[in-house]
Amino acid sequence: MPISTNTANNKLILGAPRPRDELALESSSTGATTGSTQPISGTDHQFNREFRDLDIAVFTVRDEAGEQLLRELQRTRARVQHIWPIPELIPASYDVIYCDLVNDLPQRLPWLPGKPDAALVVIAAAAQSLDLKLLHNCAPHAVVHQPVTAQAVLSSLLVGRGHFLYECRLRGRVDKLDDNLRTMRSVERAKAILMQSRSISEEEAYHYLRRRAMERRVTIGALANVIVDSQELLG
Amino acid sequence: MRDSTTSEPWRVGVLFSSSGFMAVIEDTQLRGTLTAIDEINDAGGINGRPIEPVLYDPASEALAFGRYAKRLMVEDGITTIFGCYTSSSRKAVLPVVERLNGLLWYPTLYEGFEFSPNVIYTGAAPNQNSVELCRFLMERYGKRFYFVGSDYVYPRESNRIMRELVHHNGGQVVGERYLDLRAKRGDFLPVVRDIKDAMPDVIFSTVVGDSTVNLYQTYAELCLDPKSMPIASLTTTEAEIRAMGFDVGEGHITAASYFQGIDSKRNLNFVKRYKKRYGDDQDTNMCLEAAYFQVQIFAKALERANTMDTEILRPSILGSEIEAPQGKVSVNTLCGHTDLWTRIGRANRCGDFDLVYESQAAVKADPYLIGYGRSIAFG
Repeated sequence: MPISTNTANNKLILGAPRPRDELALESSSTGATTGSTQPISGTDHQFNREFRDLDIAVFTVRDEAGEQLLRELQRTRARVQHIWPIPELIPASYDVIYCDLVNDLPQRLPWLPGKPDAALVVIAAAAQSLDLKLLHNCAPHAVVHQPVTAQAVLSSLLVGRGHFLYECRLRGRVDKLDDNLRTMRSVERAKAILMQSRSISEEEAYHYLRRRAMERRVTIGALANVIVDSQELLG
Repeated sequence: MRDSTTSEPWRVGVLFSSSGFMAVIEDTQLRGTLTAIDEINDAGGINGRPIEPVLYDPASEALAFGRYAKRLMVEDGITTIFGCYTSSSRKAVLPVVERLNGLLWYPTLYEGFEFSPNVIYTGAAPNQNSVELCRFLMERYGKRFYFVGSDYVYPRESNRIMRELVHHNGGQVVGERYLDLRAKRGDFLPVVRDIKDAMPDVIFSTVVGDSTVNLYQTYAELCLDPKSMPIASLTTTEAEIRAMGFDVGEGHITAASYFQGIDSKRNLNFVKRYKKRYGDDQDTNMCLEAAYFQVQIFAKALERANTMDTEILRPSILGSEIEAPQGKVSVNTLCGHTDLWTRIGRANRCGDFDLVYESQAAVKADPYLIGYGRSIAFG
């Protein structure tokens, strides 16, 4: 098989994330594709390309079901890295992490719930009964059930990655909104200062802010802060 | 859903620092929380089931709050957490409760401009303390302000709001300094000397934790006079005054929803019970009071909902009204903040605050200051 496996006795230090390069070296051939039929339909080139750029880490028992999952992931042409056993702290330096749903998985995740650094796809083994509470606590982006099919693996990758990116965008948007709220108050103050000091109308004050911000290639908020601060210095 | 006939306890998480530089105040919040829990349990619990607190000590480390919140929710299976004093610790817990859909009860005044569907805010928002404090200080002492604060998110944000208020009412900020949260006595000396040179009318302090004591003591050492240039604060409570010494604290100003000296039957009773439990020399304060009454709001809401499921419990909490030691308060349905009283107090020789201003009723929480212009209507 073209996928290399890291085992506990070959340098994998528990609890310490491994440098990415080292992992990549050991799995230099993982990008190779197997099989002739791609499970992605011909019209889905966009996703095909997207998958190819991904770094995927798979933390799973390498039994028949595990091999099957690795094989299917490999067929997406993503860079696939198999790691076993699961380190105490899973390294976050991947785009997508596939991991067996072990009892202490939430504790092994390197991030706090709500602040993930990678997409997480939980692997649920066929033999074990599904612990829904545990699943909830992992806050995964997708789940894949073993034994896997080609379609299930592709769906989990697409949906998991998609949800993760969407979550990032939403978090970014909330941060931006918080920022904007504060900025708007600064702009209000700058506007009032301009209106007073230059005896101009509200519209003219806004116009002044926009024009100056453009000339100086700064945001209106940044300019407003400068005006407010300098007003303060002048007393 | 749980069987309503069970006697299994309702388990809740409690995260306040009993050690580290925030312990002075957070320990009182822990006591407020536990006092309320004990009183509820002594009265038979909620629907026949006692509340069982699961406690961790994050030792004043903001990131530890996030880790313990995760532990409470993931390992202890808890959905409701009472805790946090600093804004940094609240921000560390926020993503955890939001993602796992828990509920954080936050009993501390803060800088506003936040709304999380997974937090119930029971401390004052800026419109409930800063606005009135600024008006009072300008009328009573003058318009030249000096800002001194601890170096983290709450002081900088509070000062941003205070500066706005000061400026738009013809005032001036003549100095602004930030010190490390762990600042020692010696670190304050140059700052207070600078204050002495600048001679402002008011020192607005957002220094929190242990270093509060250092600021006030250094002020006293340099023989500055609170009658003409008081330190005004939103965070200096009875607990900090006790730590710095009553003579050091005397004459300084604090705005808060609650003071130990509030002269109502309900409060006198509350203070009496508290002192009986912790000792005559132990004082109540605004953070402790919020930590206390928020557990009571929780208990009433839980009694109706009879489940810890956040989806059901939160709607039951919103709109709740309760007779708190500070007076009648209610959880604002729109923003999940609490409508609280506005009061301004001046510390006296006995370590209590004499009221110099009191709102006529609870003031509606407006965390984004939507209803507040930049100017304060004087008069």
